[in-house]
Amino acid sequence: MAADSPSSVRKVVVHLRATGDAPILKQAKFKIPGTDKFAKVIDFLCRQLHRETLFVYVNSAFSPNPDELVIDLYNNFGFDGKLVVNYACSMAWG
Amino acid sequence: MMEARKYVWEGAIPLQIHLHESEVTTLPPPLPALILAPRIGYLPLLVPHIKPHFSSTLPPGIDTVWFDYKGLPLKWYIPTGILFDLLCAEPERPWNLTVHFRGYPGNILIPCEGEDSVKWSFINSLKEAAYIINGNCKSVMNMSQPDQVELWRSVINAGNLEAYIRVSSKLKLGTVGDEYAADLYSSSLNSRQSIGDTDSTGQVKTGKCFTLLDAVKSLLPEYFPYKSLNNEESSREEDKDEEKVPSENLSEHVESCYSSDDAEVKLVRIQGIEPKLEIPFSWVVNNLVNPEHFLHLCVCLKLPQVKIPSDT
Repeated sequence: MAADSPSSVRKVVVHLRATGDAPILKQAKFKIPGTDKFAKVIDFLCRQLHRETLFVYVNSAFSPNPDELVIDLYNNFGFDGKLVVNYACSMAWG
Repeated sequence: MMEARKYVWEGAIPLQIHLHESEVTTLPPPLPALILAPRIGYLPLLVPHIKPHFSSTLPPGIDTVWFDYKGLPLKWYIPTGILFDLLCAEPERPWNLTVHFRGYPGNILIPCEGEDSVKWSFINSLKEAAYIINGNCKSVMNMSQPDQVELWRSVINAGNLEAYIRVSSKLKLGTVGDEYAADLYSSSLNSRQSIGDTDSTGQVKTGKCFTLLDAVKSLLPEYFPYKSLNNEESSREEDKDEEKVPSENLSEHVESCYSSDDAEVKLVRIQGIEPKLEIPFSWVVNNLVNPEHFLHLCVCLKLPQVKIPSDT
């Protein structure tokens, strides 16, 4: 690549928020490379909470496709410098 | 307006589906299955129609169905028509795909458990579109159970456009009106004849209509430099990943994958059509949008040929 691509080094701040009876994480804010897929956030949550499945949403609205890049989600749905990700043990919205 | 939408809704891709050789346990091997796949549908939804064709030859085990095209595992959540438009620069008829019932590539494809997975993906895309258009997805979440069933059924059968429109109109995702772009993109517009149009109150609007070209330029500005150097070398083509544009959202950020010095947009394919770029974008959105309310643009880029120095 001719020039530095900012998105290749850019990290995204993800704020993980528990919904319903989901356990609250001790550390809820993380930085993750923008080029990572949303699947990484889901996998991280599942490992942290020792669960096989979780329902994971953005802005309490919809569940993004796990193949989506975190940077794309942040650019479209982030605010206040972070991407808010909600997680629940059972289906929270719809 | 209905006619164009109907054509799109009823569009289909003829598929010739071959069972992967590693899963053929009988001689002679089964003939490929021929099936007409709705453009707006999804490959996993075809499995109930395909499986009977191959079931007697499959090795024992549990089905984990996936498809590949020339070895490329296909993302099952992308509508069939878009996969075809993206992967077949020169349309192949029938489109030859390989089906696998074993050995799901879990490191490449997200899991798919049949119709339920496709429905979940569809509904979430619809919610995402609603969120972008309205700032929330209440309208989708508040759908009655019968409406939800009818919406999904109208999509998977890809036949009942009337039913789909009846249910989806309650979602208030709207049709797009013409946008007149004088303020927004005047610096990048060529001067065109102004197009008069009437809005619902009967007043005549004049001005430069927001076209498909304007939309593509706003999404992929890096491929429309001010200096238009026409590269006289022969170029090779490369398909860019599809750009998804929810109807009415024109400000979506696009990540550039290439250093764009000499790359150009060669063609834009939507629902298998290469529309004239001068067409009002509102028409494109209102007629070519997919049932989950996303407009999928398949963009083919032309990259300059790289000169490789030869050793002599």
